[in-house]
Amino acid sequence: MKRILAQVRKELTQLWRDRLTLALALVLPVVLLLLLSKATSLSVKDIPVVVQDLDKTPMSRRYLETVSSSLSFKLSALPTNLSPERVLAQNQARAALIIPPQFERDLRRGQNVEVQWLIDGTDANTANVMRGKAAAITQAFTAQIQPATIHPAIKPLIRYWFNPGREDLKYFGPGVLAFGLAMFPPLLAALALSREGELKTILQVYVSSITAFEYLLGKVIAYTLVAWAEWIAGMFVLFVIFGLSLAGDPTPLLVTTFFYLLCTTCFGTMIGAAIPNQAAAIQAAQLGGFLTSFLLSGYLFPVTNIPQPLRFLSNLVPMRYYLEVIRDAFLRGGGWPAIWYAPIALCLLGAFFFWRAWSVMKDMQVKA
Amino acid sequence: MINDLVRTMSPLSRILNLRLWSLFIKEFHQIRRNRRLVILLIIPPTLNIILFGLALNPTFENLRLGVVDDSRTPESRELVSAFTEGLVFKTKAYYASTEDLGQAISRAELDAGLAVPRDFAEKRARHETAEVQLLVDAVNANTATIAGGYAARIIASLNQKIALSQPRAGQPTESTALQPSPPMGDTSNAPSSFLSPNNPSVSLTTNVSVTHATVTPRLTILYNPGLKSAWFITTGMIGLLLVLQGSVVSSASLVREKEIGTVEQLLMTPAESSEIIIAKVAPIFLLLAIDIGLALGVARLVFGVPVRGSLLLFFLAASLCVLCGIGLGMMIATFTRTQQQAQLMGFFTNPPLALLSGATTPIEAMPTWLQPITSVNPVKHFAIISRGILLKGSGVDVLYPQLLALAVIALVMVSVSVWQFRKQLG
Repeated sequence: MKRILAQVRKELTQLWRDRLTLALALVLPVVLLLLLSKATSLSVKDIPVVVQDLDKTPMSRRYLETVSSSLSFKLSALPTNLSPERVLAQNQARAALIIPPQFERDLRRGQNVEVQWLIDGTDANTANVMRGKAAAITQAFTAQIQPATIHPAIKPLIRYWFNPGREDLKYFGPGVLAFGLAMFPPLLAALALSREGELKTILQVYVSSITAFEYLLGKVIAYTLVAWAEWIAGMFVLFVIFGLSLAGDPTPLLVTTFFYLLCTTCFGTMIGAAIPNQAAAIQAAQLGGFLTSFLLSGYLFPVTNIPQPLRFLSNLVPMRYYLEVIRDAFLRGGGWPAIWYAPIALCLLGAFFFWRAWSVMKDMQVKA
Repeated sequence: MINDLVRTMSPLSRILNLRLWSLFIKEFHQIRRNRRLVILLIIPPTLNIILFGLALNPTFENLRLGVVDDSRTPESRELVSAFTEGLVFKTKAYYASTEDLGQAISRAELDAGLAVPRDFAEKRARHETAEVQLLVDAVNANTATIAGGYAARIIASLNQKIALSQPRAGQPTESTALQPSPPMGDTSNAPSSFLSPNNPSVSLTTNVSVTHATVTPRLTILYNPGLKSAWFITTGMIGLLLVLQGSVVSSASLVREKEIGTVEQLLMTPAESSEIIIAKVAPIFLLLAIDIGLALGVARLVFGVPVRGSLLLFFLAASLCVLCGIGLGMMIATFTRTQQQAQLMGFFTNPPLALLSGATTPIEAMPTWLQPITSVNPVKHFAIISRGILLKGSGVDVLYPQLLALAVIALVMVSVSVWQFRKQLG
């Protein structure tokens, strides 16, 4: 026990003296959280739309009013001699709306009318959202101009649960925190171990009385402590600066955070133990921490959208479980019944990573 | 093969600056022998384009729908099947009560829930509006918005189907366009159409009805009619890859020389410091030009990304992007002494470079104060250019602002870092 504590103290002192790594450990996660949680959003508001009103009647103007009052679209008129497709190609608008001539006359005659929406499909997700909104707005307009005696047969009452304002910050803020914790603690731990390998100070460890298990545990504890500091700083940003709050029981979050931080640090130790070269270890940590977490954890788009053979791999990415828990804690408040499996999965993954690191170190010690 | 190349090029080298040429050849051999670097140039771009294209997928299929059907009638089953006909919703389970449904959503077992009330069929029979409840898990705002949009469209098209079938069943007055029948076929309930003589006081300025006709949007999706998100992601990723690769490779090769101490040997040669730098950077540039073709080829083969514009312009813009990356790498190299430090610096530059670029999320969705800052990011400009050329078939006449911006960024970064580096070498 004493040996483990000494190891922890040595590790933390060493980190404190290395200014670049210290900035990486404590400043960068907070800066990223501040910057990226605001920047990562998929809901485009005030989408620029150009309009060609070939009818120019009170009725067509009313349709345009309905569109612009939805606040999703920002309309601007396009002279009829210009091609709307050219404006879309120039990225000046995301969609073009063309109201046909005789829009009002046809409607008054009781003929069904089509208005044309040209949507830039380059950004598939935004195009999808625009398509839905255009349909909903036009439906609302039809309901307005039809007599009260005609009503739709079925009317959906859509309620958005847990996030009624559909704010992206509540979803991506905690996500960025989870992302930072998937990236930096493993990197620091990997560096700490591979540095000893590279500088050959590991040989001193081999000949000392400390066992591989104690040595690794000391490293893991030290960097888990650093990770906790990152977590606390991150939660401070989420609570105080972004004004978010937890929905319901905080214990699932705390327990899962404990296992998540251990798990990611163990991942880093595994890399550091296997690769006694700092530059290569950084690359491996980047690949394992940054890339897989960004792509396979459901950070940006749900895991269920990933095609099957790849989706299975996401079960091996620790951040995937933590994302579910932290988003549940901030938004849904489903508590233990919703996320009971997450700490177990993290515990298993963490144990596996630690075991891999330990088996590498143990063999080395025998050789030395 | 390289030696042959050297031999055939030697007359040319005499005309060109001989010193520069031999330095260039030295660097080229050095890179060629560095297996790790070559692997680094081939594997990650290929893998990244494929992974990003596959994994980042916002198109929604198989959203899990829970159903509470208190009506248990053909009408309610028609509604549920309308929901599950498409690819978007899949019925996961039926629940006995709305509370059970709500709990299932809280446990994140469902993405959406549909509750059909007991009197659904009766209201439909009486031609009253039957309300159904749709609960959407809005934890993910984007999924929720899209799911809500789909649901509204499904119900709208069902309504249209019902509306089409009803007048035929009631009163066949569809042809008299000015006075279409109300759905109940009840003549006492006069249609209050704007032009109807029964209702002369109706004016357009007040919020009253004028017609029985409907307005439908004809939605045309341009450039990417299948809404394939891979087309969006991969076209954005190519630029990010080029910049990241350029910075990693150039900083590594410059810093290594510093780390090992061979910089001094280079300085002993009669070569000028600018020659040393050019010779260092030129082979990297050529190798990364291969990456451009590789990334585009993978995007095209795996995801069917079209090339609708000029390939030449694409390569030109991509080369500017590579230059930006090299400039960034050289800048990092001037700040650091070891390869390890250079790589750690990458952690400061890469995430903002990737996430503030519009490569994966739309720039318009970022806060307004942040949007101007993204203009210094070369990845942003290249994303617009590559989407313009590949998907929209745009040319220089449309894309010149981005091309110009990219050129300026490349010029500034390369010249500042060359200047810095020369100071350090001298």
